[in-house]
Amino acid sequence: MSPSIIERFMPLFTPKTVAVIGASTKGGALPNTFIRRIREFGFSGAIYPIHPSAAEIDGLKAYKSLAETPQPVDYAYIAIAAGQISALLSAANGRVRFAQVISSGFGEVDEGKGLQEEVAAAARAGGMRLIGPNCLGIYTPRGRVTFTEIGPKETGPVGIISQSGGLGTDIIRRGMGRGLRFSGLVTVGNCADVSPSDLLEFYLADSETRVIGMYIETAQDGRRLFEILRAANASKPVVILKGGRTRLGLMAAASHTGSLGGDDRAWVALSRQTGCILVDTLDQFIDALLMFQTLTPQPQRPTRRTVLFGNGGGTSVLATDFFARLGLDVTPFGADTVAALAALKLPPGTSITNPVDCPVGTLQQEDGRVAEKILDLIYASGRPEALVMHLNLAAFVGRTRPEVLDNLVAAALRVQSHYPGQAHFALVLRSDGEPSLEERKREFRARAVALGIPVFDEMVNAGRALAALQAHERFLHDRSG
Amino acid sequence: MNVISEARRHNRRALDEQAGKALLAEFGVAVPQSAMVAGVGEVDQKTKSLTFPVVVKVMSPDILHKSDAGGVKIGLKSAAEVESAIRTMMQHPAIAAARIDGFLIEEMAPPGLEMVIGGVRDPQFGPLVMVGLGGIFVEVLADVSFRICPITRLDAQQMLAELKGAAILKGARGRKAVSQEAIIEVLLQVGGENGLLMQHAADIAEADINPLIVSESGAVAVDARFILS
Repeated sequence: MSPSIIERFMPLFTPKTVAVIGASTKGGALPNTFIRRIREFGFSGAIYPIHPSAAEIDGLKAYKSLAETPQPVDYAYIAIAAGQISALLSAANGRVRFAQVISSGFGEVDEGKGLQEEVAAAARAGGMRLIGPNCLGIYTPRGRVTFTEIGPKETGPVGIISQSGGLGTDIIRRGMGRGLRFSGLVTVGNCADVSPSDLLEFYLADSETRVIGMYIETAQDGRRLFEILRAANASKPVVILKGGRTRLGLMAAASHTGSLGGDDRAWVALSRQTGCILVDTLDQFIDALLMFQTLTPQPQRPTRRTVLFGNGGGTSVLATDFFARLGLDVTPFGADTVAALAALKLPPGTSITNPVDCPVGTLQQEDGRVAEKILDLIYASGRPEALVMHLNLAAFVGRTRPEVLDNLVAAALRVQSHYPGQAHFALVLRSDGEPSLEERKREFRARAVALGIPVFDEMVNAGRALAALQAHERFLHDRSG
Repeated sequence: MNVISEARRHNRRALDEQAGKALLAEFGVAVPQSAMVAGVGEVDQKTKSLTFPVVVKVMSPDILHKSDAGGVKIGLKSAAEVESAIRTMMQHPAIAAARIDGFLIEEMAPPGLEMVIGGVRDPQFGPLVMVGLGGIFVEVLADVSFRICPITRLDAQQMLAELKGAAILKGARGRKAVSQEAIIEVLLQVGGENGLLMQHAADIAEADINPLIVSESGAVAVDARFILS
């Protein structure tokens, strides 16, 4: 029996031995930085610098070729001149499992296309899988290997494949602040051998991974991507950030990863047929991944009826419009619910139909406990599929004690726990960018994220992410006999 | 007979209308009853099995747009009318100068809604199937939906549902509803698991059934064009 996808790719995510090619005896080269980063990240396996003449690099014993390392190499990080790489790989004699070529100057430029084929052939002949070229590296917290300066140390549920290295860094750094935690991130560059589809197969089978995100410019094996996604039948949500969806974007992608992309119509079809979620921006990508990381899809009751609860009348109206365009109904409550809310005798200025607009004065009553009563009534009587609580932090400044914000979220969570699985709960923390407010937002977001609540910057972000969740739920719903 | 290898043997880059319809019929798509004649002499005999009115179309590898060249005449009620139509056609300069394979005589499809079903080969994803409402809907408004082959019945249903003009299928503006089931059948015959585009994925660069005329009860491929890869 041939080894499973997990057996084949796990050594990439949990390497025991790492070879580094291109580090300098004087330090300062990118591979030296890589050595420092994986040591700081807690990599405990063997690191083998490969160097034609040096005996030692960064305090580690160096070897002349990949054939001379004490143990076979699970992962080789290669950043030397493009022209020297095939010889390096040929010398490995089948002792390397994964070689990631960081160097550029291959298929993304005309004169490098032949060289890329040569390197791919050398990798095949040497029995190894090639990742890249023209990429930045891998980030795998479970293996304690990273190409980035910072990134969460703990393993999470989000598996990423990125055809762009720089964007891969953005996803880790920005995602980290938002609360994303990863099962891995692989930058795949020109995909001379290992393709996004290979890694997609791994993440689909990997027990750590619950959500998959892909940044794709071109899928040379689009047919296989389609077949894998269709067979998976949306068992895990897959969010695709597709670059090159317009004619000019395609031209930019051709010079970035060196291959021509297909028709946008095919990508739209792919998403309709397989349930993968297509997004257009990095923000939407991170927002959708965060939504899937934190909330459990409810395919038996796809999200539609949404309650907006927070301070800001205009914000509520605009959000109602925006959500409606996405197919999320912010429908006014029925007479029963309105009557029950009216019985609470809330201060004037409070709107008790959906959207529920509560000025700060209302929200801070009884240190936020009034909000709990309101939310309880909404859940019991309004029965929404989603509740988005939005707080304009600027409106609280100088008027309330800081605990009010905490109390509000705590109240929402208590209500949430009384009605398990009934409604998705998301939080929007709006700020005007003023430094002290941003600081409070950051602290507050961290606390919310720790409780498993997805936090968004604006209503539109929450709306789009909720629409992604809805699309996933509907896909499963429509296909559940 | 394999119409594709036949066309390749004659170095043709496309299937002519008759061959295209034969290919569709092989996959179960309804096409009009027809007869092919070399010239006026065969008309009387060959139209005996057809129900009038009929349409006559010139068949020539040199003529791409038959209507523009004066090579299509509709609503002919008798063999005599067909003969006269063929004689008139042969006077047209574009037709007189062309290599003529013959003349295709077809029964007229019952009236209905004009739809378009097409196929195109994507370099990364392989065959895609397309559906749209005919006329200005497809040409001007580009109101079409695509799927990657092979499609399922649910895919086909969703393709129709996502057309902006979907309401027209249900009989908007006092018209009768057309058979969506019939359109879905043709979509599956063309783009389904064992459909035409999957079976001939390597050979077909583009396919175009335009129009597919859909009535309350069925759908007929009235014209078809296949470009070989």
